Amino acid sequence: MVTSTSIGTQTLLEVKNLSVDYSAANGVVHAVDKVSFTLKRGEILGLAGESGCGKSTMAYAITRLLRPPAYITGGEVLYYPPEGRQRSPVISKLTQSGNATEGMADGAIDILQLTPAQLRLFRWNELSIVFQSAMNALNPVLNIGTQIMDVLKTHRPELGPDQRQRRAIELLNLVGIASDRLKSYPHELSGGMRQRAVIAIALALNPELIVMDEPTTALDVVVQREILELISSLCKDFSMALIFITHDLSLLLELADKVAIMYAGKMVEKATSKDLYLHPRHPYSHGLLNSFPNLHGPRRRMGGIPGSPPDLRAVPPGCSFHPRCPMAFGPCQSVQPVLKPASAADIGDNAQLVACHLYDPRFASAELPTQEQFAAGYASLIEGGKAR
Amino acid sequence: MSVIQQLSSRPGGTATIPVLEAIHLRKEFPVGQRLLGTPRVVHAVEDTSLALYPGRATALVGESGSGKTTVARMLARLYDPTSGTINFRGSPIKLTRSSAALHNYRRHVQLIFQDPFASLNPVHSVRYHLARPLRIFGHAKNQLEETQQILALLNRVSLTPADQFIQKYPHQLSGGQRQRIAIARALAVRPDVLLADEPVSMLDVSIRLDILNLLLRLKDEEQLALLYITHDIASARYFADDTLVMYAGQMVEGGPSEEVTQAPKHPYTRLLLSAAPDPDRIKAGGGGMREIGARGEIPSLITPPTGCRFHPRCPHAMEVCRQRFPKRTDLGGGHWTHCFLYGDGDGQTINQPAATPAH
Repeated sequence: MVTSTSIGTQTLLEVKNLSVDYSAANGVVHAVDKVSFTLKRGEILGLAGESGCGKSTMAYAITRLLRPPAYITGGEVLYYPPEGRQRSPVISKLTQSGNATEGMADGAIDILQLTPAQLRLFRWNELSIVFQSAMNALNPVLNIGTQIMDVLKTHRPELGPDQRQRRAIELLNLVGIASDRLKSYPHELSGGMRQRAVIAIALALNPELIVMDEPTTALDVVVQREILELISSLCKDFSMALIFITHDLSLLLELADKVAIMYAGKMVEKATSKDLYLHPRHPYSHGLLNSFPNLHGPRRRMGGIPGSPPDLRAVPPGCSFHPRCPMAFGPCQSVQPVLKPASAADIGDNAQLVACHLYDPRFASAELPTQEQFAAGYASLIEGGKAR
Repeated sequence: MSVIQQLSSRPGGTATIPVLEAIHLRKEFPVGQRLLGTPRVVHAVEDTSLALYPGRATALVGESGSGKTTVARMLARLYDPTSGTINFRGSPIKLTRSSAALHNYRRHVQLIFQDPFASLNPVHSVRYHLARPLRIFGHAKNQLEETQQILALLNRVSLTPADQFIQKYPHQLSGGQRQRIAIARALAVRPDVLLADEPVSMLDVSIRLDILNLLLRLKDEEQLALLYITHDIASARYFADDTLVMYAGQMVEGGPSEEVTQAPKHPYTRLLLSAAPDPDRIKAGGGGMREIGARGEIPSLITPPTGCRFHPRCPHAMEVCRQRFPKRTDLGGGHWTHCFLYGDGDGQTINQPAATPAH
């Protein structure tokens, strides 16, 4: 029943035209608007953007954790089980019957179509999540060993108590916590150790994909770096894919293979972190990168991005960034840009994708705008906008 | 642009007298008082000295628990120092809690808090928040003066049109706008010193620089002495003329920001810099996270390590580091550090560390 083809061996997750709305009393908030992207096996994808840009909402939609008033209004989230796993009891249960796999090639599973029972199997076995504040993600009245073993008890009922404990100790060692901490309660651990424990729980069943929502924001810089090193090495060792959400672009560029920038519910740019750092193509990405003072190089004046993100109940027509954009021109106010390669040379998996009319041959010349042009645009925008 | 002039960084030597000076400040907080035995205390700040000059920004950098906020709160007279003196315009202030003395002190020294969502009262309008300090400190005699000054303040923090903002309530404002109100409220007093405790860490990345640039502009316009408390050493480099680094309640290094961030001396400053996110590293290729040397976390301050508190994590720790805290060693150009690697206040270098680059 399940045959694997080229797409199945490379792609782990394929998101197609995903849209999420929040229905509020005073209008519908389009939090995520027709976002599409693919994630390869073992790849670290960073999602960055200002607060309210829809990055967390999108991650929760992928994990099916949204609750009303949030509704997924369209799209598909296809999960391609890895070859080795396709015969695993979990996957075969998921692929047997049910509408999640109907009409799908390559044994793909549409996460959005899973029934509650299937979802229960799918979560944590294939996909786990680490939430924003590790401080609150753990139950304060249970020791961390119990909390790790809880996962195993639920998802691996065949394991005995001894095996569960052995696995729990193994997991703690994996994240760099001494095994004598198994009986420690969360309040006895430092912030960094609690975050490690939460990561250990996420790793318990060897998932293929982990979603992390700002896992290090509450931590100090040195501890944050240790956690990021741990995450980076775990992803390599287990060839685990990771979706890492943060607003700290400078941190993301170091950690992630690819970075996607979101603005007002849309993905405006997706590129390898090196490409994005060296030549951001979207004016918004450029502004975001220039919101972080640098540690080296000349000290220069920086301005951030003037203005604030739009109200998602009334997103500006055309490109939603145009009211803040230093490069906006004619079509930006009326035509919605779509995510596509920035130049003809950008092909293949690592192509730099951008949703901006500056790269559309219909509206702009084939010459790519330079970083200096962006910088000059922002500088004049800041000078002119002092009265803001 | 005034900010550009500021960034071209003046040299460290200043002839002017500091407007506010902390000398050997210490703060201990009592914890878990027991009937018998010695009372336990948190040694939050040990022997901290710093000076703030008019028209200059000084950054105080450290991780949480390093005592940087405690220093700010002592300077704002929210906490009484356990020992030490605070000099205002060259003369020591009386550390009494009499309301007249505090009132008089706060006419000159104002504090901006970290969280603009908590520092404004949700049931009061912008007008109320700005009118209070104007009334309390006698800058406005009547309603008309008050309104004029509030509008002027709003314009100064770039909240325009000011006549629309004056009647708004905090919930109608974004985080950045709230922080501007908090800054305007501090300015309403017409202070000489502004203490900013992580003024941008709760704000969205794209507006952080806006607020920092606003503070820089105000600093130049009003010749304010600014203390900028932060955990982000990159923003300290951007914002401040001088940078001080604190670890576990001890000042470990200080000097002109450019010196401290580009040629860090103390092993802790080096650790802090190597841990800070730096996208420049991806230019060098490699990918993935680069390993940093020292690990671990800030020790308990109830029973802090003896001597230099960084010694348990320090790759260069020596026997003497466990015994006592080194004296201040001047490295020239206003740059100083407390580390035995560079001497013990006598200019005698015991042992130069291996040339570990900071980045």
